[in-house]
Amino acid sequence: MTIQNQPVPTVLLDQVSKLYGQVIGINDVSLAIDGGVTGILGANGAGKSTLFKLLMGRLKPTQGSVRLFGINPWSNSAPYRKIGYVSESERLYDWMTALDFVSTLARLHGMTRDEARERSEHVLNFVGLDDVMHKEVGKYSKGMRQRVKIAHALVHDPDLIVLDEPLHGCDPIARTSIMSVIRELGNQGKTVLVSSHILQEIERITEQIVILHNGKLLAIGNLHAIRDLLDNHPHRILIKCENPRSLAAQFIERDPVYGVRFPNEGELEIQTNNLAKAHSILPSIVLNSNQKISSIENPDDNLDSLLGYLIGDANDG
Amino acid sequence: MDKNDKTLADTVWTRLDRKAGAIIELTARQLRHRISTWVVLGIGVALMALLLLFYVDSVRKSFDPIDNDGDSVDEDNDGYPLGQEMKYGTSDYDASDFPGSGFYIPEDEIDWNDNVRTFSGNKTWNGAAFFQYEWIDYNYTGDWWDDIVDWDSELSSCPDGQIFIDWYPSYGEACIVDTDEYFIYGKWKGNGLATVPEEWELRWGYYSESFEVTPDPPEMYIDEDDIDCFDEAGNRVDCPSGTRLGGSHGFDNDGDCLREEYMLSETNVQLALDYDLYYRFQDDRNGNGIKCDVFWLVDADGNEVIGISADDNVDEDPNDERYVGELSHRTFIIGVGKMAFVILLGLFIPLFLSLGLVRDETENGTLHFLLSKPIHRGEFILYRLLGYLAIVASYVIILALIVGLITATLGPGDQFFRFSDLPVWLGIGISTTFVLAAYGSLFNTMGLISPKYGVYFCIIFGIWEFMMGTFSIINPNWTVSSISITHWALQMIDAIVLMAWPDTLQWAEIGLAFNIETGLSFFWHPPVHTLGTQSPGVALIISTIVLSLVSFSMIGIGQSVFSKREIM
Repeated sequence: MTIQNQPVPTVLLDQVSKLYGQVIGINDVSLAIDGGVTGILGANGAGKSTLFKLLMGRLKPTQGSVRLFGINPWSNSAPYRKIGYVSESERLYDWMTALDFVSTLARLHGMTRDEARERSEHVLNFVGLDDVMHKEVGKYSKGMRQRVKIAHALVHDPDLIVLDEPLHGCDPIARTSIMSVIRELGNQGKTVLVSSHILQEIERITEQIVILHNGKLLAIGNLHAIRDLLDNHPHRILIKCENPRSLAAQFIERDPVYGVRFPNEGELEIQTNNLAKAHSILPSIVLNSNQKISSIENPDDNLDSLLGYLIGDANDG
Repeated sequence: MDKNDKTLADTVWTRLDRKAGAIIELTARQLRHRISTWVVLGIGVALMALLLLFYVDSVRKSFDPIDNDGDSVDEDNDGYPLGQEMKYGTSDYDASDFPGSGFYIPEDEIDWNDNVRTFSGNKTWNGAAFFQYEWIDYNYTGDWWDDIVDWDSELSSCPDGQIFIDWYPSYGEACIVDTDEYFIYGKWKGNGLATVPEEWELRWGYYSESFEVTPDPPEMYIDEDDIDCFDEAGNRVDCPSGTRLGGSHGFDNDGDCLREEYMLSETNVQLALDYDLYYRFQDDRNGNGIKCDVFWLVDADGNEVIGISADDNVDEDPNDERYVGELSHRTFIIGVGKMAFVILLGLFIPLFLSLGLVRDETENGTLHFLLSKPIHRGEFILYRLLGYLAIVASYVIILALIVGLITATLGPGDQFFRFSDLPVWLGIGISTTFVLAAYGSLFNTMGLISPKYGVYFCIIFGIWEFMMGTFSIINPNWTVSSISITHWALQMIDAIVLMAWPDTLQWAEIGLAFNIETGLSFFWHPPVHTLGTQSPGVALIISTIVLSLVSFSMIGIGQSVFSKREIM
């Protein structure tokens, strides 16, 4: 067969569906992913975890085929030699130290005790837990626990890393450090799959995204391209300040702003159809106003509005 | 050879080893961090401590000398214990009948149809007669309940008319006929002329010389007749004899079978036709033609005692430290091994520790970490079970050896330490390990097949196993009980006991034959499944194979169930 001579994509899903009884988990998804960080975006229940569990051989596809490095993960555990998986499960062995936990799991890759310990120290260092690795995991914060899970997935230097909601429940500092770890892995040329239901998180990590909605593949491609489409649609910017009315006067004259509202006391809502341009003029107006601004938010800049736009777009088309 | 110049075996095996090692270690450490593990294992230790207390309190007491045949008592308070009275053939229910008291020897009689109806002399009489006396022994007097005439109460004149026609005396009565003549019906002593009424009878005889016998202290009749065995040369050896098992053994150490000082010689006994003493004198009850011996019956190849038959009063009060102690000690070990180790620990440890070995990991979600590693799910189950076994097997083996060390130090016998106990305790530990493996893999599989209801199945199964285990102890030959895991582990213990103490068969027979009721023959039976060889080794191998097969098939079922299971 000629296909053997062609490079096999790291992750390949061919018309994969997964039904839980009558409930659809994944519906006719075809995907090929190779190299770099890919964000899997989707609301809760969109099928992100189902997709990952199919990849990890936890679930058997109802239809279609799943291949990792060209191997079916349901019947063969061989691909896991080259895969690191961070599940959404929060439970760890609380009585173990991080080093213990990671090196025990490292030994399942066939490492000797010493190799496992050396590699574990290395990856724990990499995820920024070098000073606490001898403490019991039970005493860790949520962000630290997430990083332990990431460390265990990296301990054998895998080619494919699958992270299910790695930023979930983390504080901003942990979030930043986990994001930089993921970006670093992408830079090392590994294939990384990260799922999230928060657009901004994915945006800070990668541009390559897959959007799942109700078990279906909704969009795949570059986040910026999708984002640009979205930006040209009506957007709101919410500014909290001392005197919204005087600030509004300065905005109303400018080009991408076509309307203002005062939803609450001390709040100004600007309506625009070019978010990027609106953000580019925003700093100078704020500086000129001499007002104390307590926050600037983009309430439409989230997955829901992106999905809403894409679905609306699809419905329109 | 792969590119790193390692042989295939090298790479495959060391990698397997490392994975196995990691999961086994993880499982063992996990169990160590669970409170339920320590509770279950702690209860096991407490149970053993309790049984050891029982051992010290009860089993060790049985090493104290006791009067097995009950012949140290003196029922009639004549100062002579039963054992001494038996030697002299006297009764322990009659204070006038005691060693040296002399006894009645019958001489002759006048029958109901004899023509000569008178006899004169100084005799002890028994019957009905008009007695013209020269002398009457008024000291030989009786009470209303014996047959001896009561001379102490006032005698009246006999009524008019013909005796036995017009009036009837009662037995043991006398009445006055004339100044020197009585009518007497009963027993009396006197010198004179007796005339027997028509159709009545009179017997007479004399009492043998009385002599002085010093009463023995009752302690003499405790452990006074030990079990005796002899070798080919006739030298006394420890029982059961290693060199000459079968044949005539036994010796009547206390002389209550041989009865050399017995008051009746055999000729006298022949004379005493009407005297029940004859029937008391039985010195070859087992009918092997040898008086006062113990016959040990062996099987065809002569190495197993299958029956012991003792003449009356031979070897009937054995040395308690040696026999009762040894039997109780062995019974304790076998009983504890079977009931406490195999049935209780064997069932409850897996019920608490193995049911959730894989199931709990699934429920906690920690399974995802383990299964995202290059390890087959089937392998995972096997290593989990090995990790569980590593903990529980070392627990039961160490526990068995500790209990073994204590009882081997406290146990009966001359030696300071009973080394021969240790293989049995080790065997108990190993048998329990096989049970733990079989139940462990079964319960784990049940937990996998039905995470919700598996535990109920396991409890019902546990009740079945408990019942079958109990039946297997009582009667291992009952075929139905072999459809259980405990049965085969109990068979292992039976076989190991017989291998470590080959004389246990004899000991069980000794317990039965000499009425040493320690329960050895209840708790221990020769192994059943020997394919007709009666070899404990064969039974041990068969039981081991059966238990291993159960374990492996259960692991196999669990593996195939788990491999097809979708994990959320």
